[in-house]
Amino acid sequence: MPNRATQAPKAETPAPTGEGAIIEMAGVGHRYGQSDALRGIDLTVSEGEIFGFLGHNGAGKTTTIHILTTLIVPTSGSARVCGHDVVAHRLDVQRAIGYLPENVRMYDHLTARENLRFFARLSGVADIPRAIDDALGFLGCQDLADRRVGTFSKGMRQRIGIAQAILHRPRVLFLDEPTSGLDPMGVRQLRDTIERLNAELGMTIFMNTHLLSEVSRVCSTIGVLADGELIYRDTLARTLECFPDEASLEDIYVRLEDG
Amino acid sequence: MTSGHPHPAIAIAGHEYRSATRNRVLAILVVGMVLVAAASVTIASYDFKAQIADYNSYVAQAKAAGVAVTAPPQLFPLQLLRPVIEYVQIIGAVFAIGLGYLTVARERTGNTLRLLLTRPVRNTDLMFGRLLGAGALIVTILGATALISVFLIGVLGGTWLGGGDLLRVAITFLTGSLYMLIFYALGVWLSARSRALVNGLVVALVAWLMVVLIIPQIGDTMDPDNQVPGGLFAALQVQKADEKKVLAHFSTYERIRNDLEETSLTKHFERLTFAVTGIKDKYNGVSLATVAADKRGDIAWLGVYAALLATLMWSGIRRESVTGKDT
Repeated sequence: MPNRATQAPKAETPAPTGEGAIIEMAGVGHRYGQSDALRGIDLTVSEGEIFGFLGHNGAGKTTTIHILTTLIVPTSGSARVCGHDVVAHRLDVQRAIGYLPENVRMYDHLTARENLRFFARLSGVADIPRAIDDALGFLGCQDLADRRVGTFSKGMRQRIGIAQAILHRPRVLFLDEPTSGLDPMGVRQLRDTIERLNAELGMTIFMNTHLLSEVSRVCSTIGVLADGELIYRDTLARTLECFPDEASLEDIYVRLEDG
Repeated sequence: MTSGHPHPAIAIAGHEYRSATRNRVLAILVVGMVLVAAASVTIASYDFKAQIADYNSYVAQAKAAGVAVTAPPQLFPLQLLRPVIEYVQIIGAVFAIGLGYLTVARERTGNTLRLLLTRPVRNTDLMFGRLLGAGALIVTILGATALISVFLIGVLGGTWLGGGDLLRVAITFLTGSLYMLIFYALGVWLSARSRALVNGLVVALVAWLMVVLIIPQIGDTMDPDNQVPGGLFAALQVQKADEKKVLAHFSTYERIRNDLEETSLTKHFERLTFAVTGIKDKYNGVSLATVAADKRGDIAWLGVYAALLATLMWSGIRRESVTGKDT
């Protein structure tokens, strides 16, 4: 299979390396049985970016997040987050990241506060009550604190999910399809939250999505994954600039996917 | 990890304990088990008290009539615990499997395993946390059952247990906790290995059926003399000497029957606890050291089962961790 990254329009800027890079992947591959989910990905994300990772279903986006969050081990190549190797220094990586998987429900039988207290303990948070209040306050959902999560709507659960991911003030926040199943109001709130997490708390955001409208609103940089290969990576501004003939990010995405 | 905070394993244990106590099905199982245990001790205590009253009445009458009094019957209050131990064997094992299943189901339903595995928690913390939480819950349940049993024996049976007997009760119920914890590990392991959760539960219950009910009964059901009420040989009017000659032809069969029984965790638990409590008559009045020496094989088997299931549970957690597959 030809490397489509070489066929992409010459809009790519060299991926930043070394200083300022908070996520570094070098030749990362992953196999599930006989099939390759990822084929030698080289990707760098700089500190402070909101990185939108695009790709169709099954392209390998979630596998990439699972590797970066230490859930799975790459079968080839190496990856570092905040300077720590995801395999050799798993615990260091885990201390530095926050993660919200797709469709997380949390523990139904516990209240939001109890859920957050549990994850805060596991994360080694120093002042747990304060961290919980801060996280809930940041997300504007203090009123949910003492209600059982089992009674929550999808949007409420999502906010508590984000609260657990930011309790320990991680440097990088991984969000896997965060808008999945949310209504338009929920999507808008989430978008605002992501922007504020980045601007006010200085978190680098790595977000898997296939909602291009969201990417075009919040992301500073995008990467496009197709069949396990990274075929494109650049800032959103340069992407829009380098594809003057395309009317929208959706058109650009389709063109990239078509090679 | 910040100093002054609970170790992750302790946090996980606390979480397991809290989660289990909020599950209605488990609560009903626990209350049910405690109630049937209390009911059985109540009935046995009344019977025990009646036997003592009968003997005392006999002594009074014998003395009044100037007749020599025969030795008192062998009445041992710890024997009143027999039905409670049997409930632990059967219902306790089911409860523990259910607890293990719910541990896995909770994470899978809420999609929270991935959150757990991306926290700075070692696999050993996860395993020991789960075992510790389940162990604490089981000890609470069996502790409550033991206290109620001792109380009922005292109040209804008219016999308050002394220090030595209380120690035997404690050993029995701690052994019961280990026994249940082994079934908990089985429930976690099989549920974690199954793509469809319910399959793991079904396999675990089949294992329970084999280990708790079928294999221990094999000795009785495969015994040729048990095939006819009153005994096969007696029904055929076979003399004892001839019976032995017949059985000599089935020595391999007998050995297989015994070996099968030996594979049952429940059988070893029963042999050990029945010896400790003196439910098995030959161990009445025998010191704990002698019991331990005599039952070292059963103790070793319990240890082997505990180590085996802990290893399997560990491999299950490692697999979850490495593959990122939901439990």
